[in-house]
Amino acid sequence: MPVKEGIYGLLAEFDTPGALVDATEAARDAGYRRMECYTPYPVEEAAEALGAVRNRVPLLTLMGGIMGLTTAFLMQTWISRWGYPMNFAGRPLFSWPAFIIPTYEWTILFSGLSAAFGMLALNGLPQPYHPLFNAPNFRQGATDHKFFLCLEAIDPKFDVNETRAFLEQFHAVSVVEVDL
Amino acid sequence: MAHGHEQHGHGALTEPKTLPASLQAPEVVAAWRTRALIVAAVAAIASLLFLFAGGADHVMRGYLLGWMMTFSLCGGGLCLLMLQYVSGGKWGLLLRRPLEAMTRTLPLVIILLIPILVFAKKLYLWAAFPTFESVEEGLKSKLLTEAQAHALNFKRPMLSPVSVIVQMVVVFAIMGAFTYFLNKWSLEREADPERGSQGSYDRWRIKFENLSGIGVLIYCGLLTIVAIDFIMALDVTWYSSVWGLLFLVGQGYVVLAAAVHSSIRLAKYEPMATILRKTEQYDLGKFMLGFVMLNIYLAFAQFLIIWSGNVPEELPWYLNRIRGGWWVICTCDFIFHWVIPFVLLLSRDLKRSRSKMLALTGWMIFARGFDLFWLIEPNFPDAARNLHLSGNLSILAYITVPVAILGIWMAFYLTTLMSRPLVVVNDPHTEEILEPEHAH
Repeated sequence: MPVKEGIYGLLAEFDTPGALVDATEAARDAGYRRMECYTPYPVEEAAEALGAVRNRVPLLTLMGGIMGLTTAFLMQTWISRWGYPMNFAGRPLFSWPAFIIPTYEWTILFSGLSAAFGMLALNGLPQPYHPLFNAPNFRQGATDHKFFLCLEAIDPKFDVNETRAFLEQFHAVSVVEVDL
Repeated sequence: MAHGHEQHGHGALTEPKTLPASLQAPEVVAAWRTRALIVAAVAAIASLLFLFAGGADHVMRGYLLGWMMTFSLCGGGLCLLMLQYVSGGKWGLLLRRPLEAMTRTLPLVIILLIPILVFAKKLYLWAAFPTFESVEEGLKSKLLTEAQAHALNFKRPMLSPVSVIVQMVVVFAIMGAFTYFLNKWSLEREADPERGSQGSYDRWRIKFENLSGIGVLIYCGLLTIVAIDFIMALDVTWYSSVWGLLFLVGQGYVVLAAAVHSSIRLAKYEPMATILRKTEQYDLGKFMLGFVMLNIYLAFAQFLIIWSGNVPEELPWYLNRIRGGWWVICTCDFIFHWVIPFVLLLSRDLKRSRSKMLALTGWMIFARGFDLFWLIEPNFPDAARNLHLSGNLSILAYITVPVAILGIWMAFYLTTLMSRPLVVVNDPHTEEILEPEHAH
């Protein structure tokens, strides 16, 4: 695999979530889109400032649930009606009330798994390498007490000098270049 | 997570809101009360027409349905009030005054019970055949079946006029005691000279918790007695051990719907407009979804067990409710009561929308009444496995009588609601609920 070279982006470090949210809102207003906030705990205002309020986890969960429901019901129907037709207390082979509980459990199981794995997939996980860990202050602070905004070089509006000047106006603790 | 938010620096983002000067219920509540009374009067006149047109039976049964709804709102309100004291949380603070107002309708609920006890012979075999001798006679004159006679004699310790009256005295005395103390303390808490201090918060929280924890447990027993005496005993031969729980969950369903409905309506005006945030409304929506699920889970579990058992003592109860046209009502009940609220409450946008939640909670109150209709009417020989409208128009009394009773109840509820400020002040959650959304 060829080694990639260049800049991943510019990383600004903040001490408070308020400063992070202000900077993020300004960056979005200035036209930046390829950017991400990194906080040690969920900050919903940051997600809103990024414009990332909606995601597709609910849809995946619903689809998983419907899949579990139909799979369980059809499987039991096939088993009881065609696969292994047996006489239980003289009841019809297609006795749907008996199928409901497993169908219900499978609906929950499939939607739960879809939600968990869908969330991981949409987050791009698992991800063994991420360029941001090249920044020493990120390694030390991101899981603990610091708030980061990264404007990524892939953004068409990104320019090393202009973007650095833009970020420095927010009284960031530091603005560092992150290598790929 | 709500404590110590300042350390995270959120305070800088937006300022907390301040409560309006007056915390009393808005004046529009009095207008709602007048409207409820007008609806009640119109429905009562329609019910009287049914009564004089020979529909006394249906008027009585509709009355039972209406009373059971008012009991659900009053008793369920008491249970949810105690539950929110035990569990804590901002949703409870939001609903506390409406729930307290529901509990204080207890005197009306007791008065409304009197006609049922007076005319119990029209509804219950245990009232029509209260003694061993009368059962023997009923058996001889073919008014009772062998199974009914046996069940009446076996269940007499619980199901006889004297026993039921004693049970009701005990039930309402205990409910009255809990209602009295919860409401009295709630006012004393607001008037506490040390209000606003951590000591005051802790003292009152523990006091309410200690009363409410045991109260929830006792209420489950009391409700089971009422549900057995007045609904299950309509068919004296039948029994189901999940019956009390089914009604408990049904009460959670209808009370939560009514309380959320009240809050959203009140939130068009101050002071509720300041404290009803989307966050708590969303939480309440999720809570409602839980009750919707648990309700169908228990109802279906009861059906599945009886269907699997397939024994002649239990199964006719369901056959009476499925065959002879009742399949339509049964299917509608499933759709109204579960499918519609379940599917809608899955949506996050709907749970956050005030107008949509207002419509849905109103619908859920109706759906609970519809479910009670399916539970009550097929108990009677003229209706079991035989649903018909022609020559039976007085069955519409099932609409008019409950509307009249609920209208009267609502007028009483709104009166009690107006008697206190709508916002609880001496509670640490009040400060949190005034913060801007997402500040945690």
